[in-house]
Amino acid sequence: MRNFGLYASLLLLALTVTSRADNFLDTPGKGSYVSFEPVQTVTIVPGRPSTVQLHFRIGSGYHINSNRPGSELLIPTRVKLMPPSDIMAGRITYPAGKTLSFPFALEEKLNVYTEEFTVKALLSSTRAAMPGKFTVHGQLHYQACTNNACFPPKTLPLQFDVRVSKHLASSRSTSTHRGQSPHIRR
Amino acid sequence: MNRNTVVLMVVIVLVAVMIYAGVHNSRKSGYRAYANSGDKLPAGDVKGKTAPDFTLNTLEGQAVKLSDYRGKAVLLNFWATWCGPCKVEMPWFVDLQKQYGSQGLQIIGVAMDDSGKDAIDKFAKEMGVNYLILQGKEAVGDAYGGVLGLPTTFFIDRNGRIIDSSAGLIGKGEIEENIKKALSVEPESKGTSAGGQ
Repeated sequence: MRNFGLYASLLLLALTVTSRADNFLDTPGKGSYVSFEPVQTVTIVPGRPSTVQLHFRIGSGYHINSNRPGSELLIPTRVKLMPPSDIMAGRITYPAGKTLSFPFALEEKLNVYTEEFTVKALLSSTRAAMPGKFTVHGQLHYQACTNNACFPPKTLPLQFDVRVSKHLASSRSTSTHRGQSPHIRR
Repeated sequence: MNRNTVVLMVVIVLVAVMIYAGVHNSRKSGYRAYANSGDKLPAGDVKGKTAPDFTLNTLEGQAVKLSDYRGKAVLLNFWATWCGPCKVEMPWFVDLQKQYGSQGLQIIGVAMDDSGKDAIDKFAKEMGVNYLILQGKEAVGDAYGGVLGLPTTFFIDRNGRIIDSSAGLIGKGEIEENIKKALSVEPESKGTSAGGQ
């Protein structure tokens, strides 16, 4: 009976390893190797920049080039934000990648993101912005690889909400909620 | 040897075979996993199928048809300048073109870059490429099963039939074996050869 347990465990281990190997190349999302984690609504006070943190998760077994991959041939990871009018996107800060070498180029060091990374962006509103909720659209452009193959560059759409609060100086004034501006800045 | 030992050995062999099969299958089947994610599937097992013909331009702008190389063994390699694993293969292809070119091998690299022919040309020169480089088109990639990952390589015999294919980086030895297989196929006379290519 003890031996049966051992054999069963070995078989289970084999099935697990086989299944993991088969799933190694699975993609984590719809045709995407990177997913965008939901962002909590960011509050912006007119005249004061706020930082939004954009969290991304990379599928297991994949890596993507960092924003500074170290070679002009490699496609850097970039975020582009397209806020509505009255909201402005400022400086975008990328995390430092990991400097790694891969089986396909042991002598070469590549700067990459693996597992997850966070990009920070400054957002501000004009002083004329009316209080209310706005949706910011954007995109993440990246190029993913595994240890033995690379995949064509992809663009992941991003979307998150910001709330413009009342301007501190004009908080006494009564303003009417205007909502999303129809003018999307691209 | 008692019965338990025999059973244990059988189980160990079985485990080893299953692990090997799993890893091998994941590598050989390449990007089939993406089928569920909306990307286009490769056309399954392509061995013995006629390689789809295409016309693409060289970096000098000259139109080239795959079927122009009927009678030669063709190694058709989809690559890109941004693809690290592709860079590893290129010096191997240079060597193999030198070694087997006189026996009838033609290596064709199809660049799937958006970066333009100047960047491709510069890269190919830096890599010392001595084989044919063509500017790829999505339609050609689609005809070859989508070519979802790079490098993707097809080994085509002298009659335009696919001997084997690989998705992702494989060893130089495996590439050379497939080249030898492709070269070993005798050309058929025009009346009996496969159509299409």
